[in-house]
Amino acid sequence: MSSNSHGSAMHGTLSFVEYLAEHKKLQSERSGSQKKKALKIALLSSFTTTGIKEVLSVKCFDAGVATDFYEASYNQFAQEILNADGALYQFKADVTILFIDIMNLLGDDFFFPYRLSDDDRKKVADVKCEEVFGWVKMLIAKGTGKVLLHNFRVPYYSPMGILENKQKFGFFEMVKRINERLADEFKNNSQIFVFNYDGFCSKHGKASIMDNKMYYLGDFKLRFDFIPFLCKEYMAYIKPLASLTRKCLVLDLDNTLWGGVIGEDGMEGIKLGPTPEGRPFLEFQKYILNLFERGVILAINSSNNPEDVEKALREHPNMILKKEHFAAMEINWNDKISNMRSIAGKINIGLDSLVFLDDLRSNRELVRLALPEVLVPELPEDPAEYLTALMELDDFNVLQLTAEDKNRNRLYALDQQRHEHRANSVSITDYLKDLKIVVTLAQADLMTVPRISQLTQKTNQFNMTTRRYQEEDIKSFSEDEHFRVFSVKVEDRFGDSGITGALVIERQKDVWRIDTFLLSCRVIGKKIEQAVLGFLIGRARKEHVRCLRGEFRPTEKNMPATSFYKNSGFSLKNELNGEETWERDVSIKYDSPDFIEVLWRG
Amino acid sequence: MERLKDVLSKVLGVDRSKITDDMSPNHVDSWDSFNGLLLVSELESTFKVKFTMDEVSSARCVGDIKNYLRKHGVVLKEA
Repeated sequence: MSSNSHGSAMHGTLSFVEYLAEHKKLQSERSGSQKKKALKIALLSSFTTTGIKEVLSVKCFDAGVATDFYEASYNQFAQEILNADGALYQFKADVTILFIDIMNLLGDDFFFPYRLSDDDRKKVADVKCEEVFGWVKMLIAKGTGKVLLHNFRVPYYSPMGILENKQKFGFFEMVKRINERLADEFKNNSQIFVFNYDGFCSKHGKASIMDNKMYYLGDFKLRFDFIPFLCKEYMAYIKPLASLTRKCLVLDLDNTLWGGVIGEDGMEGIKLGPTPEGRPFLEFQKYILNLFERGVILAINSSNNPEDVEKALREHPNMILKKEHFAAMEINWNDKISNMRSIAGKINIGLDSLVFLDDLRSNRELVRLALPEVLVPELPEDPAEYLTALMELDDFNVLQLTAEDKNRNRLYALDQQRHEHRANSVSITDYLKDLKIVVTLAQADLMTVPRISQLTQKTNQFNMTTRRYQEEDIKSFSEDEHFRVFSVKVEDRFGDSGITGALVIERQKDVWRIDTFLLSCRVIGKKIEQAVLGFLIGRARKEHVRCLRGEFRPTEKNMPATSFYKNSGFSLKNELNGEETWERDVSIKYDSPDFIEVLWRG
Repeated sequence: MERLKDVLSKVLGVDRSKITDDMSPNHVDSWDSFNGLLLVSELESTFKVKFTMDEVSSARCVGDIKNYLRKHGVVLKEA
C-alpha cells in the first residue's frame, strides 16, 4: 500500500459514512500485520464520540501514521483521569485529546446562568477553570504525552436575550473567561495545546454544529458530518508530532502566483494587483510571504523564460514575492519532475519535505505519479478559492517555533551566497578554510532544549541514530546526571547558522555512549562532524572517560552518516539487524580539521 | 426504493438483494444503536427530509422506514 505521505490526496473528500467503511477495511487488512510503531492516541470526552477514532485512524493512515487508540468509557473521563492506576495511564499515550462540552462542564449553571449573581458567575468560571487545570496537570504528571485540550463553545443563545451584553458579567463572558484563562495558563507550556473548538464551531456554524435529535437520542454533541472536519484539525497537531512536517513550498508561476501567462501576456498583462481579477493572486502571495516569514522555504518550478520571470519579480509593482524569498528557482523548459529533483538537491532536503502547488491538473498528476513523496494538494479551478485552499494546508505546522525557524529566510539566502562562493574557490579545502568556520558547543539549557528536540525530529541525513525526541525527553536528559546533551552552533564569514547540530551522550562508567549525533543538512559537507568528534574526544579525556561508543542505525536517508565512525578510527564491536556498535579508545590520536575553530561554552 | 437500498447497504453493510420490508435490527448484527442513528442521518441527507424523534424511536423495520419516508412526501418506486 503506497499510503506514505499522500496526505489529503487519498481520502480527502470522504463523507463520514465512507470514512467508517474505510476504517473497517483498514482493520481487516491490517489485522496481525502491523509492523510500524503506532502513534498512541487517547480520547477523553464528556459525551458520545463514536466515529472520531474511526475517522482519525483513516486520516492518520493516509498520512503514513499507524495508530493505536484508547477511548475512555462514556462520560467517565474525570474518573479515568483521577484513577492513578487505571487503564488510561497503562496505555501510555503519545497524545491525549480532552474534549469536554460546555454543557457538561457547567451542568445546571449552563441552563440557569442568571440564577447566579454577576460575582458568582465569575467565581463559577474560575472554579471550573481550576477543575480543568487539575485534570490536565494530572494527565501531564502521569505522562500521557502531549495534551490537546479543547476550549469551550461559547453559546450564541442567552436567556437574557438582547440584554445579554448589558450584564456586568454575563453568561457569554463566563465561557469566554474560561477560554481566555485556558489559553493564558498553557501559553508557555510545550506539552499542552489548547485547541480552539469555539473557533471550529464558529467556522462551521454554531447553529448547525449539533443535531438536536442525535443529541437527545444518543448524546452526540457534534453532528456526524463535522467529525471529518474535526479530525482534519487534529491532524495539524498529529503531523508534527509524528515528524511529518514539510519544509518547502514549491510554486508554479503562471495562473498560480499571478493570472495569465507571462511569456504571452507580458509583465504588463498578467493579473496581479488591486483589481477583481488581480486581487486573489495578490492576497495569495501575501499569505505565502507569511509562510516564508514563519520559516517555510520557498522555491519556484515553472516552465518559462527565466529573463521574463526575473524581470517581473524585480519590476512588477504588485509583486509581493521577490527573488530573495526563493531558496531555489527552476525556471526553464525542463520537465517539472527533474526540476523538482534539482530543487530538493539545491536546498539539500528530501522530496518528502516538499509541497507543490500548480494550477494545472496534468502537472499535479505527473508529479504525484513520478514523485509520490512530494505532497501535491488539489488547487481549486477558481483562483478566488486559492487562498482558502492554502490556509487549509496543515503540513507546515511545527510544535514549536524556534529563533532558527524564523531566521531561516536569511539563512537560505546566505547559503545561496556560499554556493556562489564555492564555485569561485579553487579546491574544497581552500573553500572551507576561507569560510572561517567557528563551531560552538554548549550544554543544553532551557533556551536550547526546544531547538535540540526539533533537530532530532527533523534531521534525516547526517543523523547517526535517527532517534526522535520530544522536548520533554531532551529536557529530562539534560537534567539527568548520567546524560550530557550538547548543542552545536555553526558560524562562518557569511553569517550565523544558529544551532544546527546536537549530541546526546550517556555515561556508562568509563564509556560515553553516543546516543544521538546529528548535524542539520544545512551545515554538512564542511567537516564540522569531524570538528565535533575532535571536541568530544578531548572532552572525554578531560572527564576521565576511556572510550567512546558510537551507534549507527541505518535509515533510508542517513547515507551521509554511514561510514563516519569507520573513517574516524572506531572499530566495529557488534552488528545486529543492520544496527552497528562502534568503539574508539580516546587515547588514540585524532586529527580534527585545523581550519575549524571549536569553542566550548560549558 | 433503489436509493433507500443504497443507504441501507452502505450504512449496514448488507447485501442489497437481502433487503426486505421485514428486515430489522433483530436480523442484522451491524444494525446497532449507533448505526441506527447513522442510518437516520444518511436517510435525512439523501432524501432531504427531517424525521422527528418519535419516528426515529418507533421505527422497527425497513417497512416502517418506508412509511415514514412516504409520510414526508418521498415517492419510493418499487423495483
